[in-house]
Amino acid sequence: MTDAITIKKLTYAYPDQEALFKDFNLSVAVGEWLAIVGHNGSGKSTLAKLILGLLDFDEGQVTVFGQVLSEQSLSAIRRQVGMVFQNPDNQFVGATVADDVAFGLENHQLPSIEMPAKIERALKQVGMADFADREPHTLSGGQKQRVAMASVLALEPKVIILDEATAMLDPEGKQALLQNLKELKARYQDELTLIMITHDMEEAAMADRVAVIDDGRLVFDEKPETLFLKGDRLRALGLAQPFAMDLQKSLGIMNPSYLTTQELATWLSTLKA
Amino acid sequence: MNNLVIGQYVPGDGLLYRLDPRTKILMTIVYVFLLVFANDWQSYLWSAAFLLTALLLTRQGLGLYWRGIKPILWLILFTVVLQLLFSGGTPVLFTFGPVKVTTPGLINAVYVVVRFVLIVLMSTILTITTAPTAIASAIESLLKPLKFFRVPVAELALMLSIALRFVPLLMAETDKIMKAQKSRGMSLSTGSLIKRAKAVVPLLVPLFVGALQRALDLANAMEVRGFESAEGRTRYRELSYGRDDTLAFFATLIFAIGFVWLSIL
Repeated sequence: MTDAITIKKLTYAYPDQEALFKDFNLSVAVGEWLAIVGHNGSGKSTLAKLILGLLDFDEGQVTVFGQVLSEQSLSAIRRQVGMVFQNPDNQFVGATVADDVAFGLENHQLPSIEMPAKIERALKQVGMADFADREPHTLSGGQKQRVAMASVLALEPKVIILDEATAMLDPEGKQALLQNLKELKARYQDELTLIMITHDMEEAAMADRVAVIDDGRLVFDEKPETLFLKGDRLRALGLAQPFAMDLQKSLGIMNPSYLTTQELATWLSTLKA
Repeated sequence: MNNLVIGQYVPGDGLLYRLDPRTKILMTIVYVFLLVFANDWQSYLWSAAFLLTALLLTRQGLGLYWRGIKPILWLILFTVVLQLLFSGGTPVLFTFGPVKVTTPGLINAVYVVVRFVLIVLMSTILTITTAPTAIASAIESLLKPLKFFRVPVAELALMLSIALRFVPLLMAETDKIMKAQKSRGMSLSTGSLIKRAKAVVPLLVPLFVGALQRALDLANAMEVRGFESAEGRTRYRELSYGRDDTLAFFATLIFAIGFVWLSIL
């Protein structure tokens, strides 16, 4: 079976800088939930831009569902891969929520008559259907990000890349967005591949697999259950462990099945009973 | 800044809300154009009656329009004084030192005020009842003939609607930067004029840097969502010309004929 995304021998350097990526390899299976983590400047966001052809790489190959990324295949690939960016304000194109979701549909030349149903469906999936006529400046950051998510969902992509999508949100907005992601993944199962770029380990713990990037190198590529047992080595890379793992360590237990605070709390309370 | 009514859209459900934005723009243009030629009290009265009808058809409170006029009261007062003092002519009503106030001056002043207020109110009606995006797509539609001369009409309209979308955001950002710089001791209201002008620089630089960063981000977000060219995109909100629009055009026509008739009399 072909992978959703394959990156082979990628080399990329920002103009007048040393190469950020050298012979970089990574593949993402269909239906997988991958987290890409790394400290600031490790190259994780650059990687997302390279996959979507927003930056041109020097050498190597990016393949999306068997299709090699090139000038010609660019628009076809962008139809399959959607992306939610970090800043909620800077990706809001429309004057209202509905107009923003419509923007992508208009680009894809969907007939006007089919748009309202698609927009409503996409907004429902992120719980923002009641906000269709609202203007962006009346929404919270978390709500804007969910609209950005709806705008991507309306285009029915097979892969969604979230580039630090929760970094600028308050805890509440962040939880709502993550909860929403879980629901979407549960609903679409293997039809939706998620790539979550983050420096938040709680988020990374939600993924099936975590790729740790440091200065353009792939340092770890494994399941979160095993990765988070390597607390000291993660810390050396400027990354923290999830709080749940820190707590387990202090308590003298090491059970990698409970990676998020919520899971651990539930487990601990069953122990007491 | 937020209570500025001019240029602001206020959602509602009056008849004027249902009109095609193109109709409203054309009506406003015709109205303003004719008003420039008004020269007697009959034509002003006729114009005011037309405006009042339009105003009532928006089904918004009159207080809203009063708030639209308020910020330009000083400007109106200023023009009145200019007209009063420098119109000349006879008969002289009274003199005040070297200044003469004449009857034609007084009449002119009243006309100018009425004309000014009518024009401002008419454009306010347009913006209050029409969402910025609708105005942008109406302008695109009206300027379509310019495509013949290779004017990138679709791009211009998209740029306009994005610019409108970012106005509140940039206003909020200006406010934030201003507070940040004030907390560092910047003052825009003291010192000589040069000193004050210099104080604007630390305000503008971060604002521009921020705006450029936003522009880059937005361009990426647009591309990823499949934006390639403003040409050939379909429309979520299609403009549709209906029976109400024909009605509105007839009303405008009657107004124009009446206006010309009154002017000739």
